Amino acid sequence: MKFKKLFNRIESIRLEKVTKRYGDRFAVRDLDLEVRGGELMILIGRSGSGKTTTLRMINRLIDPDSGRVSINGADVEDFDPVRLRRSIGYVIQNIGLLPHLKVSENIGLILKLEGWDEAKIRERVTELLNFVSLPPESFMDRYPHQLSGGQQQRIGLARALAMDPPLLLMDEPFGALDPLLRTQLQDEFCKIKKELGKTIVFVTHDVNEAFKLGDRVAIMDNASLVQLGTPEELIFEPSSELVSEIVDSKRKYRHMEVLKVRDMMQPLDPGYFLEGSLPAEIALQKMVDGGLEVALVFKESGAAGRISLNEVLKAGKTGKNLNEISKPLLVFPADASLFEGLTQLKEEGESMALVLEEGMPAGLLFSDRVLQGLI
Amino acid sequence: MEIQRVWNSQLLSLRTLEHLYMFTIALSVSILVGIAVGVLIYRNPKLADPVLNGLNVVETIPDVALLVLLLPIFGIGTGPTVAASILYSILPIARNTYTGLANVPREYVEIGEALGLSPGEVLMRVRFPLALPLIAGGIRIAVVFTMGVVTLGGLIAAGGLGAALQNGIQLYDMGTILVTGAWVGLLAVILDGGAGVIENRLKVRYGTWS
Repeated sequence: MKFKKLFNRIESIRLEKVTKRYGDRFAVRDLDLEVRGGELMILIGRSGSGKTTTLRMINRLIDPDSGRVSINGADVEDFDPVRLRRSIGYVIQNIGLLPHLKVSENIGLILKLEGWDEAKIRERVTELLNFVSLPPESFMDRYPHQLSGGQQQRIGLARALAMDPPLLLMDEPFGALDPLLRTQLQDEFCKIKKELGKTIVFVTHDVNEAFKLGDRVAIMDNASLVQLGTPEELIFEPSSELVSEIVDSKRKYRHMEVLKVRDMMQPLDPGYFLEGSLPAEIALQKMVDGGLEVALVFKESGAAGRISLNEVLKAGKTGKNLNEISKPLLVFPADASLFEGLTQLKEEGESMALVLEEGMPAGLLFSDRVLQGLI
Repeated sequence: MEIQRVWNSQLLSLRTLEHLYMFTIALSVSILVGIAVGVLIYRNPKLADPVLNGLNVVETIPDVALLVLLLPIFGIGTGPTVAASILYSILPIARNTYTGLANVPREYVEIGEALGLSPGEVLMRVRFPLALPLIAGGIRIAVVFTMGVVTLGGLIAAGGLGAALQNGIQLYDMGTILVTGAWVGLLAVILDGGAGVIENRLKVRYGTWS
């Protein structure tokens, strides 16, 4: 093969003090941004905020006026643009399949220019079509105008993956689709994202899409970076009015699927915990002394229990210990999804659960408190 | 019958072959030169205006005058006839090639660049195929021009169907004039129709507006 990839994996992509102007308007101004290897970084903002320009400076479709863009520490200006772009997958807005080429020719275009033989190209195209869930035998020989929007979108992704690039740039890939199809393809993309194991920079103007897909989200406005963080950070600690407006911080319930149990748990006073091996009699004394109506029991095994003052009273002098008389309590890891946590509480008919951070009790999740926090 | 009489006395089979021979050579050269000029002025846009204007001037010379002007250079017969056909046909092909290459929608050029096509590859793999319908349109115009000029070549002893027509006029043989005239006309319609079919095929295959 005449072509060697410029990089096989991405350690980092760095934009330092990057500026691009068109006339006296700034498209991007003094931008500092680092994309970590393996993450899906979302660039979000209104049109004209500079997100697409930023994306295009990574594969040198646009060269900055000043500042530096580097991949794995090497300045992209030192790479030949053709080789650089062949090392980076690109999914363009409105898909952009070439209308005069069949599906197989669209996907295999670069492979052909790279001198692969026909049989190998066909094999690779078949593999890619399977990967994007299109039966190769019936799609191989179609022209783009014979495909639906969703099918074209899948072909666009397959084409970007042809050279197995470690980095994917995606410019509003789902923008042209109707909402139902968009949701479907986003769900599928979420699944294959892990399989791909690639670094992805993804431009969108849809905050729901951003939070659904992104590991980190960079909010851009007026040619500058406004805030960068995980979806949770943006929802709970918006750095400005603008961010809170964009992520709609005031209506957090909109983001329930993004939130973790940790985000909505109540901190816990260690005083509530009693040793499981304590006999009921001694436990009663401790609870009365500490003014506790209810106590929690945590076992090494990770299980937990809850017991009220009344129950301890009833157990009285039976000689049973707390492990025996406490009621089991649901336990969630702190990074469990809030939505799934609430669903489970509802199914079990419980109103609270213990939250564990790295195996140790860290807080409690109350279903009613969660609702108050969200609205 | 009359048709058979004219056909045999005027050797129309031979004349038709001569005619198509000149037509084919003139058109082939026009296509090659026309596309080459079109690509050249596309790559050097500064040349576009002077070249197209120059070809336009050629286009405005009446065809009989052009034939006569070429006589001192090419002598009489086939030479000046083919040369005049070519001179007339370069403009529509070159102009359509230039327009076609320059007006390929920006998004297709961009996707080519984003995928990692070199400028030459963008020209050959994206621009040129997408410009084909328009180039074919230029060639179709050239077909009609060439047919006309080749027929006129009968005036300067180029042979072909024009010669038979010329005979008919000189002998004032109405039968010859009508039969030959109708045949030339039919031939032109058929060739133009064929070119039209090819053009439409290309539009379906490469057209971006369908």
